[in-house]
Amino acid sequence: MHSSQKFIAAAAAASVVAMLAAAAPALAADGKALFTAKGCVACHGVEGRKPTLPTYPRLAGQNPDYLFQQLSDIKGGNRTNGQTVAVMKPIVSKIADDELRALADYLGSLGPFAVADAKGPDGPGKQLFLTKTCFACHGKEGNKPVLKNYPFTAGQNKAYLLQQMKDIKSGKRTNGAVSAMAPVMHLVPDEDMPAIAEYLSNVK
Amino acid sequence: MKTVIRTLAVAAAATTIFTVGALAAEKGKSVGEAGYVWNSGGGEEDEALKLKPNAKAGKDVFEVCSACHQPEGWGLTDGTFPQLAGQHFKVIIKQLADIRAGNRDNPTMYPFALPSQIGGAQAVADVAAYIQTLKMNPENGKGEGNDLELGKKLFAENCAKCHGPNGEGNNEKFFPRIQAQHYAYLMRQYESIKGGKRRNANPDMVKQIQHFTERDTKAVLDYVSRLPAPADKVAPKGWKNPDFQ
Repeated sequence: MHSSQKFIAAAAAASVVAMLAAAAPALAADGKALFTAKGCVACHGVEGRKPTLPTYPRLAGQNPDYLFQQLSDIKGGNRTNGQTVAVMKPIVSKIADDELRALADYLGSLGPFAVADAKGPDGPGKQLFLTKTCFACHGKEGNKPVLKNYPFTAGQNKAYLLQQMKDIKSGKRTNGAVSAMAPVMHLVPDEDMPAIAEYLSNVK
Repeated sequence: MKTVIRTLAVAAAATTIFTVGALAAEKGKSVGEAGYVWNSGGGEEDEALKLKPNAKAGKDVFEVCSACHQPEGWGLTDGTFPQLAGQHFKVIIKQLADIRAGNRDNPTMYPFALPSQIGGAQAVADVAAYIQTLKMNPENGKGEGNDLELGKKLFAENCAKCHGPNGEGNNEKFFPRIQAQHYAYLMRQYESIKGGKRRNANPDMVKQIQHFTERDTKAVLDYVSRLPAPADKVAPKGWKNPDFQ
């Protein structure tokens, strides 16, 4: 090889390395290891599948962009409802952003959140889910969110769903895409929320 | 030698694409910003306006919209969602294009204006054409009805010159039909326009309504909500859209 060819080959290699480094910083962080190392398993269960309390959300297979938004917002103080400040904030505050992304991607890879043809029981909850327009954004049976940063709700824990509906309606939770949901929550009477949560939690 | 140079060029190009990131549609200027021109057109709005609209295809697109705007296109009388039935073809295209391009902020509506949900410029034209086939709600949401004389006066002096003597709007000029629109929706948009939150607003309108008091606002919008649409544009009470039964 001539010296000029060696130089060009080296420059090409360096360019490829730079490209990879710019494109994939998260390769350095191991989401699966972090989920255990940072103590997430203690509340959310192994692989985030079976939380230890019904007020904690299932995470396995959730949209990674949604999860990352929640983690960032809890860390940054934009989401302060429920247990997010007392329990989660101290933990995620010590986790670097690229590690939060790795956690979100890891959890997202454990899908599906609910099986593709999951269905929930007929009844008032299902009817409300349709008539109150929830399905428009969360998808039929809460299983096909219309944007990548909207959450799957099919099969989510009932108590957690109920809390989120209440908090979004009351303004206690305002982070991320809640700005899209909050303006329609006045359509949902408080007394209708348990039925909706019951229905969604039983979508499988 | 040539292969090496080609590889280097590809790597350089790839690096550029990775660093520039996803190519996003360029957001236009907002009302109040220097250089803002209302209804400057361009982009998808122009694309959609040039196409031959197909109302039949638009019906399939409208199914997405019907979830919130209702199968009849009547929205909700509490104003959460506006009535679309009776709205002008060009107005619908412009608003959809503006929401899609981020020139009008509406987080709730945003996903449903996206190509991934409703399709490209043809779909925008088609759904606007389908909406033209829908007759309006004979019982839209109205105000309190206790200050209509003032409302009538304010309307004639301020609004009629653009929105028409009966609030019928003007398709060619992109001025929306506001007659028989839900009062609460009118209120929300009006406040949004007045306060500069509605970034694709007409600056002449923004300026004109600055001096309106709360009483003025309620009076004129109540009056507008009660302005009847032409009889041939209005559905009978309780009408259901047979396209979605």
